[in-house]
Amino acid sequence: MTTAYPPAPPVGALPYDADYAATPPLALVEARTRRLVLRWIWTATAFLGVAGVLGLLLRLGQAEFISLDGNLWYAIMTAHGLGAFIAWAGFFLMGISFWVLNKCGFHIRSFILPEITYWTMVIGVVGIVLTTLLGGFGGSWVFLYPLAFHSAGQWSDTVTGVFSASVLIAGVSILAYCAAVLHTIIGPGLQAEKDTIGQRIGLAFGFGLLWPSRFKTRRGREPYPVLPLAVNAVDMFLATLPFALLLVFQIIESVHTGFSINTLLAGNLLWAFGHPVVYLLLFPAAAVYYYLIPRYANRPLVAGRAVAVAWLIALTFNLFVWAHHLYLNYPDGNTVQESLGTIMQPTTYALVLPSALSLFSIAATIYKSNFQWNAASKFLIAGVISWLVAGLQGIINATSAFQDTLHNTLWVVGHFHNMAFLNMGLLIFGAMYGFLPELTGRAHFNERLGSLHLWGTLVGGYGWVVCQMLQGLEGAPRRWSRLPDTYLDLTRISLIFLAVLVIAQVIFLINLYITLTRSPFDDPTVRHGKPIR
Amino acid sequence: MTSLGKGIGIGYLIFVALGLIIAVAVLYSTKAGRRNKGVSDHVEKAERAEPWWGLFVVVLLGVLLGLTIWRAPWFQDSGPGQTVKVTGMQFGWLVQPAQVKANQPVQFNVSSKDVNHAMGLFDPEGRLIMNVQAVPNYTTTRTQTFTEPGLYTIRCFEFCGYQHAKMIYPGFKVTA
Repeated sequence: MTTAYPPAPPVGALPYDADYAATPPLALVEARTRRLVLRWIWTATAFLGVAGVLGLLLRLGQAEFISLDGNLWYAIMTAHGLGAFIAWAGFFLMGISFWVLNKCGFHIRSFILPEITYWTMVIGVVGIVLTTLLGGFGGSWVFLYPLAFHSAGQWSDTVTGVFSASVLIAGVSILAYCAAVLHTIIGPGLQAEKDTIGQRIGLAFGFGLLWPSRFKTRRGREPYPVLPLAVNAVDMFLATLPFALLLVFQIIESVHTGFSINTLLAGNLLWAFGHPVVYLLLFPAAAVYYYLIPRYANRPLVAGRAVAVAWLIALTFNLFVWAHHLYLNYPDGNTVQESLGTIMQPTTYALVLPSALSLFSIAATIYKSNFQWNAASKFLIAGVISWLVAGLQGIINATSAFQDTLHNTLWVVGHFHNMAFLNMGLLIFGAMYGFLPELTGRAHFNERLGSLHLWGTLVGGYGWVVCQMLQGLEGAPRRWSRLPDTYLDLTRISLIFLAVLVIAQVIFLINLYITLTRSPFDDPTVRHGKPIR
Repeated sequence: MTSLGKGIGIGYLIFVALGLIIAVAVLYSTKAGRRNKGVSDHVEKAERAEPWWGLFVVVLLGVLLGLTIWRAPWFQDSGPGQTVKVTGMQFGWLVQPAQVKANQPVQFNVSSKDVNHAMGLFDPEGRLIMNVQAVPNYTTTRTQTFTEPGLYTIRCFEFCGYQHAKMIYPGFKVTA
């Protein structure tokens, strides 16, 4: 069953003349993709710097080492949440998706949509920063309706309107990204034998693996990294629409005070996007794992048909899991919400399958391989293990019977930092170590500094996350600017780990600076001393 | 920490430990002398095992679902007993009456006057024992039987604004 990926179309070749007739030669497309992805990486990394400092301020405030009284702590919390999750991790993985696709032979067919994606996200993030840090909007990144209009005098309805518009613009970025990814995938890169749109769509979603006699590609087998990206593009496009509707409602209410919507409906519109958006990070992260782990294991991804089935399950169920965020919203007489809660526990469980089968494939790919250890691959391995560690927490969180103990506690905060920072974040660093040499032409990351970065991030990150999870199991509520005294010791201990984490990131920046400024240009056909095959 | 919290923590750690043991074994297999050259038998074996692994995961999740879904909050009985009306508002709680008797069911009718709140109920030892969302324009009912007399505390568990952390009601009394 295992087939090596055919090489990507050679530079300058036109795999489907009809498709590429109006486009520049692929060498130019690849060079432009490289510049675009690099710009994306630097912008997202800058967002990480800002969001990271804001997060540190939050914990320092909770530890009572600095005073962030009143609404300021919550405004920072709102900016930190959106900044770290969407503007850093989400944005980075959106950008790197195009490079993974490019490496798999799926070249961007039009740069209009990727550019719209980039600029709308930047504009949206600037709007969010201004409305939170200057305008005082402190409704949290979920701004649970109708909180945005009950600020208790801390911000105006106008600020709510501008904040909602800014988030909406960031939502447009996600829509444009989904369209750009689908447009790129449903193209000549699939090398469909029968070049119809139905064949292309089937191949993009893994039917070539499930039904190879019906869906044939001249590549032998479609590359696995395409599957999670295609699934994510469809799901996020659909999931963003109800959220956009909620934001439009909020914009209308900000200028027309008589307008309002049902609070339960608003909650459902929010979480119809608010949970799938996690997969805006995780699914592209899976694509990067699928692409890079085989590179360092020196063998193709070990995977069969079950992975394709799992991604079809994800495609379907990802859109029907939102109500697990509303397990405790079951007002009397509202059997719909109870039914949604009952149905969406198993549908959420179903989403474990893509992760479980991906972890199995990755483990089988690494097992007894001639694995190449370097900064990139170490970060990827750490990220994969964190995927397991955080994924198990996700199963717990998806269980309605545990909500009395876990709902809105710091356990949940610990979980998503574990998943977002210590899975997707480690993968992002791994992708930077892995891809930057070929993107910049400079391949001299200092391995010792890379290891220090890794261990500092792991020790600091896990120390901090474990403190939060323990506090959560003890009943510490989330989104409290000042926690009850019972939890103060662990909050202060977590700051020691946060200091380690910050130092590790400084080491990374030094390594990056040295690499980009002091090392000589490498031969661009060489990465980590190994010729590109 | 409640017994449920301890159970969650211990169960989680067991699965994490199993996962880490497998991860270490996989990584150890890449040491020189243990590697396979090229595409080896284990690749075909792994591809054959893949659907069985998927089935194993489905069975595990099915067992967890079967054990827990019936304990979902909305399936809990709200039988007759003492009734307490709890209303959340920025930034305080209205609790009527503020005193109940132990060992008799207490039905909490929870609602909100403005934004979403959540009633996190802590026992006298500081353990979180109940969590109910307070949704504007709706009432949510939960029943709890207290076995331990003493002063219970209500803390807000849904972010509701800049004084969220001060939304504490320390005086809910359970008498013998």
